[in-house]
Order: sequence, then C-alpha cells, then structure tokens
Amino acid sequence: MSTFHGLEMAKRALFAQQGALYTTGHNISNVNTSGYSRQRAEFVTTKPYPVPSRVQPHIAGQLGTGVKIGTVERVRDQFLDAQYRAETSKYSYWNTMSEALSRMEELINEPSENGLSRTMDQFWQSLQELATNPDNDGARAVVAERGLAVAETFNYLSKSLQAIQGDLKDQIEKGTVEKVNSLLDQIADVNDQIQKLEPHGYLPNDLYDDRDRLIDELSEIINIKVTYSKSSNSPNELEIADGLASIEIVDESGKSFDPPVKLIEAYDPDNQTDQEVNKLEIDFDDTGTLVSEVRVGSTTVFDDEHNDDMSILGSIGSFTALIEANGYVDEDGNAVGVYPEMLAELDKLAKEFAEAFNAVHSSGFDMNGDEGKEFFVRKDEFDGITAESITVASEILDDPNLIAAAVANKGSRNGENALELTKVFDNENIDGLGTSPRKFLTALVGQLGVDAQRANRMTGNTGILRDQVDHSRRSVSAVSLDEEISNLIKFQHAYNAAARNMTAVDELIDRVINQMGLVGR
Amino acid sequence: MRITQSMMQDNLLRHLFNSQAQMDKYLTQITTGKKIRRPSEDPVVAMKGISYRTEVAEVEQFRRNASEVWTWMDHSDDVLDKAGKAMQRIEELAVQAANDTYTPNERRSIQEEVKELRDQLVELANTRVNGKYIFNGTHTEKERIVEVNGEYVVNELAEPMNDVLIEVSKGIEFPANVNPDGVFDNELFEHIQNFIDKLGSDGDVDFNDNIEELNQSTLNIVNGRAKLGARMNRLELVEDRLGHQEVIAQDIMAKNEGVDFEEAVMNLLTQEVVHRAALAAGTKIIQPSLIDFLR
Repeated sequence: MSTFHGLEMAKRALFAQQGALYTTGHNISNVNTSGYSRQRAEFVTTKPYPVPSRVQPHIAGQLGTGVKIGTVERVRDQFLDAQYRAETSKYSYWNTMSEALSRMEELINEPSENGLSRTMDQFWQSLQELATNPDNDGARAVVAERGLAVAETFNYLSKSLQAIQGDLKDQIEKGTVEKVNSLLDQIADVNDQIQKLEPHGYLPNDLYDDRDRLIDELSEIINIKVTYSKSSNSPNELEIADGLASIEIVDESGKSFDPPVKLIEAYDPDNQTDQEVNKLEIDFDDTGTLVSEVRVGSTTVFDDEHNDDMSILGSIGSFTALIEANGYVDEDGNAVGVYPEMLAELDKLAKEFAEAFNAVHSSGFDMNGDEGKEFFVRKDEFDGITAESITVASEILDDPNLIAAAVANKGSRNGENALELTKVFDNENIDGLGTSPRKFLTALVGQLGVDAQRANRMTGNTGILRDQVDHSRRSVSAVSLDEEISNLIKFQHAYNAAARNMTAVDELIDRVINQMGLVGR
Repeated sequence: MRITQSMMQDNLLRHLFNSQAQMDKYLTQITTGKKIRRPSEDPVVAMKGISYRTEVAEVEQFRRNASEVWTWMDHSDDVLDKAGKAMQRIEELAVQAANDTYTPNERRSIQEEVKELRDQLVELANTRVNGKYIFNGTHTEKERIVEVNGEYVVNELAEPMNDVLIEVSKGIEFPANVNPDGVFDNELFEHIQNFIDKLGSDGDVDFNDNIEELNQSTLNIVNGRAKLGARMNRLELVEDRLGHQEVIAQDIMAKNEGVDFEEAVMNLLTQEVVHRAALAAGTKIIQPSLIDFLR
C-alpha cells in the first residue's frame, strides 16, 4: 500500500468521470445529427492490489485501485439495422413505383372533361350530327376537326409518356446508378479508415455511424445484406469492434442470389486480399430508352435473357422500380414495363380504332359520290398507325366533303355511313382489342387505377413498417436529452466526490508530512 | 421502450402531415365537387365515370337528333296539311265543273284555278327546309317534281327514294321524312293533268272519273299525314324516354363521382378539430425537458 495510492485512485476517478462527462457532452452536441447513435463510456475497475506474484505482500484481501473507462461504445442494435434496411428497400420500391404511376395518372387525366374518352365522345357526337345533317358543310368540318382532336390527344399522350420515360431513364442513370457507385466508394473509404483503427484497439464509433448512414442510403436503392468481418488478426482488436462491412445484393426475401452478387468484398486479413468494390453499370438498347443490361463489376445480373426473379429484378428498391417503370427488353425483343406497356396499349387502341374506322369509312361514299378514302392516316411515310403518328388525312381536313357519310346507291347526301361510323366506337368485335374501343379505353384506365392504387397502398403499408422499425431503432440509439442531463448530473456528482476524496487523501498526507513526529517540540 | 424527444417530435410531425393530407383531400373534394381526383383513389368510380360520361353524351346527342326529326316532321305535316287543302279545293272545283250548267268558258276559268293549285302542289312537293328538299328521302339536294315536256313528273334523278334515318336512341333509327310515293307521285299529277285537260275540252264532258281519281289522291295525302301523325306520337314517346334517361344518367354520374357536401364538410371540420388538438398537444409535448426543472 503506497502513500500515494489514494491520490492516484482519486485522480483516476476524476479522469474517468471527466471522460464520461465529455461523452455526455458529445451526445448532447449530436442530439440532432442524423444517423448518430448515442455513446456510453463503460467504466471498469482497474486491476486490484496486490496482483498474485512471488513477492506479493500479505494483506487481507485485494484492495481496489479505482476506475477507468474501458471502452466508449455506441448503443446500437445491428439486427434492427438489417430490418430497417429491408423495409426501406420495400418502401422505396413502392414509393418510386407509386410516383411513376401517379405521373401517368395525371397525364391520362380520366375521368375528366378533357381526357381521351371525352375527345372520343365529342368525335362520336359530331358523327351523329353529320348523320342527321349529311349535306351540312359545318357538320362535316366539325367531324374533321374532332377527328383531328382525337388524333392529337393520342399524339399528346404518347409523346408525354415518352417524355416521362426519358425522365425515368435519367433517374436510373443519375439518380441511382451514379449514386450507388458514389455510395460504394464512400463506404469502401470508411471501411479503409476503420481497418486502420480497429487493430489498435479503438472503437471508431463515429465512423461506424457514418458507414451505417451510407448503407441506409444504399438500401433505398436496392435490397442489400451486410456482413461484417474482422479487420485484422491483431490481439489488440476488441471483441466488440464492428469490423469491416461486406455488402451483397439480395432478393426480396433477403436470400443471396446464385452466384452471390457482391458490391463490396471487405479486406480479408487471413488471405491478405484487398477490398474489392464492384460498381453498378447499366446499358440501354439501341433506341436509348429501354434497359438492356445491368452489370455488377464484371458480372451480368440482368439482360434480355435474365429478367426474371433470379436476375436483379428479384431484388427490390427504387432501382428495380425504375427499371420496371421505364421498361426493359425481354428475350423476344419485346418492351416490358409500366410505361412501354401503356404506350403499346395506346398504340393498339389508336391502330385498331383507326383501322376499324377507316374500313367503314372506305365502304361509304363522299359528297362527290366517290368511294371514301382513309380517314385516319400516319403522319410520316411509314406503315401502321401508332398513337404517336396518327392524324386525319390532310385531303379530308382541306375538303371535309371527302368524308364518306353516305352508303352506296342512296345518294351522296345520305348519312347512313356516318351512322355506321358511330357504331365503330361500340363495336365489340374488333379482334385486335378483343372488345370495343370505348370499353378498351375504360378498362385501360381501370387497370391503371388498380395498379396505382396498389402501389399507393403498398407505399403506405411499407412506410408504416419502416417507420415502426425506425422507431424501435431510435428507441435504442437516439439521444434522449433527459437521460443525458441526468447522466451529466450523475457524473458531475461523481467528479465532485472524487475531488473530495482527493482532498481527504491530501489531508491524510498533510498530517503525515507536516504534523507527525512533533511531540515535545 | 425508450422514447426520446426527437422521436416524439418526428411522430408528431408525421401525424400532423397525415392529418394535413386528410384535410387537403376533403378540401379538394369540396372545391372540385368530386369524390376522386385520379383513378387510383377509386378505380371503380373512375371506370364508371368514363362510361357514365359517354352515356350522358349519347343521350344529349340523341335528344338533339330527336329535335332534328321534329323539324322534318313539323314541316312535312304543315306541307301535307296545305296539300290536302289544295286537293280538297280541286275536288270542289271538279264537282262544280261536273255541273252541266257550266259553259266551256266558265270551265276554262276553273282550269286556270286548277293550274294555279297544281303549281302550288308542285311547290309544296318541292318544299325546302334549311335548303334541303324534304320530300325526296336522302336526295335532299334534288327537286321532287320536275317539268318534263309540259308534264309534271317525279324527278328520275332522285330515284330510288331512301328514308332519312336518324338515330334517336341506341339502335333505334327513326325515319324523319315522309315517303312521297303515294303522296307526291306521278299518279297525283296525272290525275290533276287529266282533270285540267278535260276542263279544256268543249261540249258535254263527264267528270265522274276525275272526281273519283282526285278523291283517291286526296285520300292518299290524308293517309300520308295520318301516318306521319302516328309517327310523331311515337317520337314523342321516345323523346319523353330520352328526357328521363338524361336526368337518370346525370343523376347516376353525380352519385358515382360527385361528393356528398354535407359529409365532406363534416369530415373537414372533424379533421380540423383533430388537427388543432394535435397541434395543441404538440406544444405541450415538445417543450419541457429536464433542463426546465433544474436549477
């Protein structure tokens, strides 16, 4: 038992309490830092005296020597992190899908007073008017203009859908692929820094937080699984150190793909292999709109032959939602996806309606007694009417008398063919549509509504799940000011007590040095 | 469970946002008068909305078509009325002329009047409404009766006659015109011509055949008008039904997508109360921390 044992012990207590106070201060400072986990200074007793040895003093029991801060740990539950990321991926997928569908809904604008169905209704009305007044120039001109309005609505919808598709493509390239690659670089960088610190027995809590925040961000884009490995074989490395993060893309249920798709493969201290970062790469088809190939590093994870659940589409996140919304090429060269399919349906409607309409129109006779020409034509020289290219024949626009309102042998001012033309709208026997043009359009809007409703509902549901997990996670890791303040008081009192202890020891030593052995003086 | 200030703050914010989204929904419902803004809010309402709109447009159009049919029929009716009267006058004149006391001179003056009446009948047969000849079926640009070598005959260019069919209800095509065969046909003008010719002849003339012939023609015109009258009754029924249909279609459309204002306003007010309560509670929750109670 040395003279200064008490002083040393009090000093250790002062240091330890001070350290805890500073940690508390760090927590309070970061109460509003996103992704910050509260930290705790873990006190441990220092080694008691005496330690067993050959020359140990024989005293009763071991004497405590005070306190020190063993580690400063962050309070965090990695299990909740994994849950949070899985839910984030799902939420992000549905949210992205819901946004894409919402834009489509806004564009289609049904039911309303100016959507496609309304324009078709007005065209139908003008034909009825023509059937009642086949020799009225005004009625004819109105049919030509309303027909043009239908064609222009098709043009507008098709072009706007393609414009949104272009935005989606930008989002895939800039918003996801570039972001993923930048996140991967940052995570790899943090891994490197952690690898330099952990072998020396440090716990780089703030770096861990940084890394977790980056991984959270990554999980919005694609569903991932994070595994941790030791950063060294150094004996100083702490058992509770998080280690290095390896990241792989997993499917919706969290299972690895076969073979596994690894984004980051951490440094392996046993084989001394360097950290490997596999960047995300994407290719588009010749038209520059549809996704044709996705690679992670040199591994192809998606192309026209791998587009099922075994490909990257089996994963979930904003990336897969964007690919599905923007569209991709399947093995038969067909465009698959929300936007290309809507475009194809509109093309089909425009084509079948125009062809059925033209067939009836050609069977009639115009004001000059000549056979009807094609009413709807393509804008350019190619064949086959599409939503983008449909228009009314320019001769008819110039001379509405060419509208074939009459049937054969009943005089040129007969309107029966105009009546036949009105029946095209409700003709259920149009093979290419399988139903009437009106019903096809209604069903198209209905399907879009159901899809968007589902996406919105799933966004809500997955959002709630994510928030709940986030709640649990923050319940563990978030800084509570009440808690920190009470800790502050606790540590301050302990500090004061330690100081008092030191004063007591000081007085003891003062007694020995200045006041002992003065008897008889 | 550990609850921290930031968690409570976030929860409060989230609930406030949700409540505001609800308020926005009800407010939009009230301002637009529509239950839904986009198909996803209720796909069934959206699909029905499209169909009902089409139905309303159709019924509106059919009503317009029906009024077009009325134009045709009213004019035809008027013309047939006048034609009937003219024929009656000719018949009267025939009976007069048959009176043996009439001298050839007097008969000539009757002949003049009959010629006038014939011209009037030609004009009536060639009546135009909005520039359209209404007694020629679909050949609205051609005259019904033309003069060929001094004789009034049916215009061959306008043959064959086809009814003007106007759709007044889904699948119901209504003839708007009066079929002129049996009304303004060659026979009518032959009969009149026969009478005129006879009026020009001297000596004793027997007009009995002519009276019979002319009577037949008058009957034809009256019958034509009676048929038209029956058709007008039918159109009245159809129009009546269309009127009902229009009201029903609009009513159904309104019920389908229109908002119930009382309900929407109540919802909005309830939501407002909830929102205010949440805001009030929020200020209580967020404010105090341990620091507030320490010296």
